[in-house]
Amino acid sequence: MKIGNQLMKLFLAQLKTMFREKQVWFWNLFFPVILMVIFMVIFGGGDSSDFKAKVALVKPQSNAAADSFEAGLRKVPVFEWKTEQAVSSEQADTWIKDKDVDAVIILPESEEAGDIQLIVNTENENNATSQAVRGILQQYVQQASFAAAGVEPAFQLQSSVVSGGDEDLSSADFLLTGMIALSVAQAGLFGMVDMVELRRTGLLKRLRLTPMRMGLYGVGGMMVRFILSFVQIVLLSLIGVFGFGANLHMDLPTLIVAFFVGVLAFNALGYLFSSFSKSIESYMGLANITSFLMMFLSGIFFATSGLPDWLKPVTQVIPLTYFVEGMRDGMVYGSGFLTSTFWSGMGILALWGAGAFALGAFIYRKGKVEAR
Amino acid sequence: MSVLTVTNLRKSYGTVKAVEDINFTVEAGEVFTIIGPNGAGKTTTLEMIEGLQEPDAGAISINGLTWKKDESEIKTLIGVQPQSGALFELLTAEENLDLFASFYPRSRKTSEVLEMINLTEHRGKRVKSLSGGQRQRLAIGLAMINDPRVIFLDEPTTGLDPQARRNIWDIIMKLKALGTTIILTTHYMEEAEKLSDRVCIVDQGHIISLDTPAALISRLTQEREMRLSFHDGEEAASQTEKAIQSQPDIVRMERDGANLTLWSVKPEQSLYDLLGFTKEQGYRVEHVSIREMSLEDVFIAFTGKEWRD
Repeated sequence: MKIGNQLMKLFLAQLKTMFREKQVWFWNLFFPVILMVIFMVIFGGGDSSDFKAKVALVKPQSNAAADSFEAGLRKVPVFEWKTEQAVSSEQADTWIKDKDVDAVIILPESEEAGDIQLIVNTENENNATSQAVRGILQQYVQQASFAAAGVEPAFQLQSSVVSGGDEDLSSADFLLTGMIALSVAQAGLFGMVDMVELRRTGLLKRLRLTPMRMGLYGVGGMMVRFILSFVQIVLLSLIGVFGFGANLHMDLPTLIVAFFVGVLAFNALGYLFSSFSKSIESYMGLANITSFLMMFLSGIFFATSGLPDWLKPVTQVIPLTYFVEGMRDGMVYGSGFLTSTFWSGMGILALWGAGAFALGAFIYRKGKVEAR
Repeated sequence: MSVLTVTNLRKSYGTVKAVEDINFTVEAGEVFTIIGPNGAGKTTTLEMIEGLQEPDAGAISINGLTWKKDESEIKTLIGVQPQSGALFELLTAEENLDLFASFYPRSRKTSEVLEMINLTEHRGKRVKSLSGGQRQRLAIGLAMINDPRVIFLDEPTTGLDPQARRNIWDIIMKLKALGTTIILTTHYMEEAEKLSDRVCIVDQGHIISLDTPAALISRLTQEREMRLSFHDGEEAASQTEKAIQSQPDIVRMERDGANLTLWSVKPEQSLYDLLGFTKEQGYRVEHVSIREMSLEDVFIAFTGKEWRD
């Protein structure tokens, strides 16, 4: 009865403290949302069917070959034409320089000359749009050549996208779940700064002077952190689904397990950092480095398969890898609860958490004796 | 009845001996003040008594209990206001009190404590926006929330303006009136003299002297310093000096122009004789004073150190 009341009071005190702190709102809710929106706009802004390149056509001479070429090009769906009519090369040059168009295609000057030119702005030479336009044009020219020679191509490339899930995993789903995992992990890594603050202000010492059990304070704090992370998940999911068309295939038991193990593990890491950080600055430095490294090595924004081989083993040990995988299992793959990869991932994550907590607690206990 | 007994307490950090052989007993209902220069071992002593640090040697008994055996029981008997405020900054005064009240099996009513520390008006204000004096009062309020037998106040008035300091004194007197035993440290001699039943002077880890403020002062030499200044100038002062020289009670004299300073072991008698002489001569005396000895003199005499506020 008394314990329950105490826990309730400790929980409410920490809940109020957390939500009265503007920094918490900013870093744990506003910032992840902004970050996700930015990443979604850059990387996940729709499917390839939405891809459009603005191009202009220059036709120095009208002849049968050029006319048929033009007619064909005009049918390519991803090209958005600046004008219906072909323009002069001077006009096209100006557009390129002003970046009014992504590319200019110049048809051959005469029926005999076979050169088709593609002009892009130097600044954009290597960007995705230029590359895509170049590829499309290349393919088109090839097909036209085959047609002119009266040859059927012997090979054709069929490409499609396959993901781990039953259904196609869009980049929006991938980013959304990545951002959720990152936000929850960061809330844990950074959130334990409270402990440093508690020690700095002498409040930790003050609490030790009362009969209150510090474990209970910790439990109350964890309850608050779970609430915060839950709010993060809901908020980011809503924005991802309604703002960017992400598809979620929830598997609730999987999600709940991954969420609990993850929140505990990353808070334990934060707790460990707090045990040996003498100042807020040093704690923040540690948390920043850790989260920054993990962010790029755990497949949050892009798949880890693109990493150089010597880095891949690192990916296999850091906890965020397993957390983001677990969250994806629970939110988009729908691969179910009983896969061995899921449970071994959770096991590694739990091991991290337990290890960090044990070490942190040890350092705290040692510090109590030496504290002056 | 003694509430706190400290015997042969020792603590060192590496080669630094912070506390060497400290012994004292505090009686129930007493205000017991520990003073000493910085680094004398006050805080270390307090923290060992409060159970925050383990002594290297010696024994501490609070109400007959010891930290090793009865930790949780002792914690319900004591209340501590640490030097650093140590409050939940984002909670209100009332929320802080409510939270701390929940830690104890038995506690005072929050409203009652708010009344005692004179914060009823500001109960809904977050600690962040309280003034220094209000924060300190709240810290004392937290220390008394469990209606403790012994309350530890570690420099409760440091850094406060005179008015805020008086407010704290009022609270301490109220607590004393309620029969709470108070263990106080302070940097202000005036405070120690005014509030304490007994004062313990600590320096370099040792107790130098322990007694009531009045007894400590009377232990100093009986010589008292008197000052006179003459309206009629140097001539009158020097005549008086010559006339009074033969007085056996006067130990020493100094003259600076029209000002005369003398030290006497019987100040009343000396002053009587002195004023008799000036009246006879028709000298007009502008200013007479006898300096009261204060705890500060005691401190300087015992530690050989100037007192720094």
